[in-house]
Amino acid sequence: MSQKTQGSRLEIQGVNKFFGDFCALKDINLTIEPGELVCFLGPSGCGKTTLLRIIAGLERQSGGLLHQGETDISLKPPRERDFGIVFQSYALFPNMTVTDNIAYGLRSIGMPKAQVRSRVDELLALVGLEDQASKYPAQLSGGQQQRVALARALAPSPGLLLLDEPLSALDAKVRHHLRSEIRSLQKQLGVTTVMVTHDQEEALAMADRVVVMNNGVIEQVGTPLDIYQQPASAFVASFIGAMNFIDSSPLNGQRVKIGNRELDLIRPLPAADGCIQLAIRPEDVHLLPSGDGEWEGEVLALDYLGAFIRTHIRLSDIELDLVVDVDPRSARRLDLRVGGCICLNLPSDALHCFAA
Amino acid sequence: MSVFDPGKSSMIDSPSFSTPATRNWPTLAELRRRLTDRWVFALLLVIGCVVLTLLVLAPLYTLLSKSVENKAGEFVGLENFAHYLSSGGIESAFFNSLWVAGLSTVIVVSLAFMAAWALTRTRLPFTGWLRGVLVLPILAPSLLPAISLVYLFGNQGVLKSWLFGAEIYGPIGIIMGSCFWTFPHALMILLTAMDNADGRHYEAATALKASPWRTFWTVTVPGARYGLVSAGFVVFTLVITDFGVPKVIGGQFDVLATDIYKQVIGQQKFEMGAVVSVLLLLPAMLAFIADRYVQRKQSASFTARSVPYRPRQDRMRDAIGALMLTPTIVFIFAIIGMAVYASFVTFWPYNLQLSLNNYQFGRMDGGGWGAYINSLKMALGTMLIGTGLVFFNAWLMERTPQPKLLTGVFQFLSLLPLAVPGLVLGLSYIFFFNHPDNPVNGIYGTLFILILCTITHFYAVSHLTAVTALKQLDQEFEAVGESLNASRWRVLFTVTLPLCLPAILDVALYLFVNAMTTVSAVVFLYGHDSQLASVAVLNMDEAGDIAPAAAMAILITATCAVAKLIQGVLRFWVDRSTRAWRQGME
Repeated sequence: MSQKTQGSRLEIQGVNKFFGDFCALKDINLTIEPGELVCFLGPSGCGKTTLLRIIAGLERQSGGLLHQGETDISLKPPRERDFGIVFQSYALFPNMTVTDNIAYGLRSIGMPKAQVRSRVDELLALVGLEDQASKYPAQLSGGQQQRVALARALAPSPGLLLLDEPLSALDAKVRHHLRSEIRSLQKQLGVTTVMVTHDQEEALAMADRVVVMNNGVIEQVGTPLDIYQQPASAFVASFIGAMNFIDSSPLNGQRVKIGNRELDLIRPLPAADGCIQLAIRPEDVHLLPSGDGEWEGEVLALDYLGAFIRTHIRLSDIELDLVVDVDPRSARRLDLRVGGCICLNLPSDALHCFAA
Repeated sequence: MSVFDPGKSSMIDSPSFSTPATRNWPTLAELRRRLTDRWVFALLLVIGCVVLTLLVLAPLYTLLSKSVENKAGEFVGLENFAHYLSSGGIESAFFNSLWVAGLSTVIVVSLAFMAAWALTRTRLPFTGWLRGVLVLPILAPSLLPAISLVYLFGNQGVLKSWLFGAEIYGPIGIIMGSCFWTFPHALMILLTAMDNADGRHYEAATALKASPWRTFWTVTVPGARYGLVSAGFVVFTLVITDFGVPKVIGGQFDVLATDIYKQVIGQQKFEMGAVVSVLLLLPAMLAFIADRYVQRKQSASFTARSVPYRPRQDRMRDAIGALMLTPTIVFIFAIIGMAVYASFVTFWPYNLQLSLNNYQFGRMDGGGWGAYINSLKMALGTMLIGTGLVFFNAWLMERTPQPKLLTGVFQFLSLLPLAVPGLVLGLSYIFFFNHPDNPVNGIYGTLFILILCTITHFYAVSHLTAVTALKQLDQEFEAVGESLNASRWRVLFTVTLPLCLPAILDVALYLFVNAMTTVSAVVFLYGHDSQLASVAVLNMDEAGDIAPAAAMAILITATCAVAKLIQGVLRFWVDRSTRAWRQGME
């Protein structure tokens, strides 16, 4: 067994899932390239876990096809698919030592004893648990248990690794550490990985590509940068990071109207009649000293969040509240005070627009 | 269910380790894989359902149909019921049963609640030993307290004067005897309900300046209310369906259970026995349904965030606790002590010299030592077959993919025995298995039918224990197993069974003890070669050999105590050898 496995390509075509009348997944199409780490991200109930379970064969899709490499796995039971899985609860076998847990999958394919031992040692070294080999899961910390679960899943060298909210049971510090550890391990092994998470920060930090899901459909697939900078829908824009939304009505061409002012946009308008929504990130709003900008506002509240200050501003002439992030130095320069007046610009290159 | 074609995909399965096979036969690997297909599990559970249908539903159906037939087997509608009503049976037996069971329930639940309070809310020492003593009656057949009461308060009883001229033979005796043997059942339910109290509730009550009395009524009692209701239903059902106590000490006082026995054994009126059975089935069913309804409303109030309650040091409270425990403990010791003493007395009350005369069962009717050996065989058989059957079925239901409808049906069939009194079950077994058209009527009168009947009789509680244990395991074990190429069978043997060992031991002991002590279900079913010790107690008592009856009852109790001891040792050993991986799991 070599350390470096060939990750497999996964192709999902037109997958649907119904639970009775409820449609949990609607026409899912997605291709995952070999060696890629893809995150399914979305609020609870969006269908991300169902999709993962369908990929594993633990749930049967109502329609659609799945291919792993050249093989059609649509109807195969889990045992005949080639994947390793780590659950949120880890599901480590409590009556077995770390070694026996990791060896479990190797023994079920009848690997000779000596090979099992060397493979287990290899994995223990890989996850840095050589000195815990003969302990039981209950004697390990949460982070160590998580590593055992990972090692157990990777032991038979699967072409596909499935991670179901693998970090959510851990406390913040361990989580951050394991995040980068899993990522580098995955890169090192080249195993194609699908991870389900509801934590956007985790998804953005780890994934090659993020699949944002909502109400059983894929809202957007893209690199973390794409997802953040070019959200494809109002849902993605609001789910990832913070976003200000401004109602407006389109005029001719690229012109839109906010309140009684008109504005030229750089990005194309969505094909929608009636209202559209403009959106801007809190860090993209330009604050200026009173009297210098296009919009006048009053500072309602200031939240000190360490590296930046989240400023709540009311634009008086259109009765709109905006959230703006300012670094402390600019805040001092602008003399930000609750109740003070402030001016701001909405740079048109930072304005997104969505159908309302 | 699976739509996938088994022939297509065998190449994926562990390529290099399958044995080569001839063309027409599936390879070993393929056979193994087929065994893990969903439909196999579904089929196995369907078989489980069929087995339970044959063991519970079909016999019950025959019983119900017998109750609306005459002796010749013609349908007569409700004529039998009308006949029973007009004979006055309803006024005497039915209402007698109801009020005796009702009163016993009130007494037992009160005593058990007081005991549970003393054990969980005070700092009395030796609570482990106290618990052991308080559940002792569960090891004895229900006939034992009745015999003991005869010695204590009967015509030649040592404490006869304490009754101020009242007769022990009748309701007083039945209620006292019933209280003795149903007490542990109520206590265990209440202890479960009260053991896990949330200390935060008590701290909140103290912080809000509630008096101990008010705390008791606003925190302790509400916390135990589901336990109280459940204990009430359980005790009521146990008393109303019990046959041992009223048979020995009931005298002329008719209750439904003894009435069935009289109709069937005394007068050979099987259809009237069926009628009374239906009347007995009704309150038991109602109690069962009501209990299920209440249980469904119950939700766990003790969560992972709760802080276990630790009683504060309070001598006054400890004294009250001791006061509440004393009468119950004295009563239990008196009953058991009297039976033990009586079994050794040479000839009561004339020759009080101690001897082993009464243990020479060979000299009396009732089956002698052979009956005891039969009982042992029957109890071991019930334990082995029953534990296996219960666990396998519970595993199928809980840990394999099953259609919802099927698990629903199976759950219903598994719990149904809880609502069926032993006598009713026994009688329906006569109708079903002794029917000339039944292909297996050869088992009638053998030990095997006794084993089947006893497993069925005690199936529900065993099933619930097994299901609870299986539910506690991580839901994803099987999924992880599948991803690691291990079948559910392999996960069952390497993970599930080792983890469930304590629960398996509990079920095994439960089945063994109940098989040793039960009378009601088997009293209609034993044959010449399959007499049982518990039935021998009954028969010897009926024949007037009351001292040997006491001796046999003590022998049964001692056997159960030994079984309990062995189980305790095994559990200790299991706990010790698995301590490492249980750390932090509880």
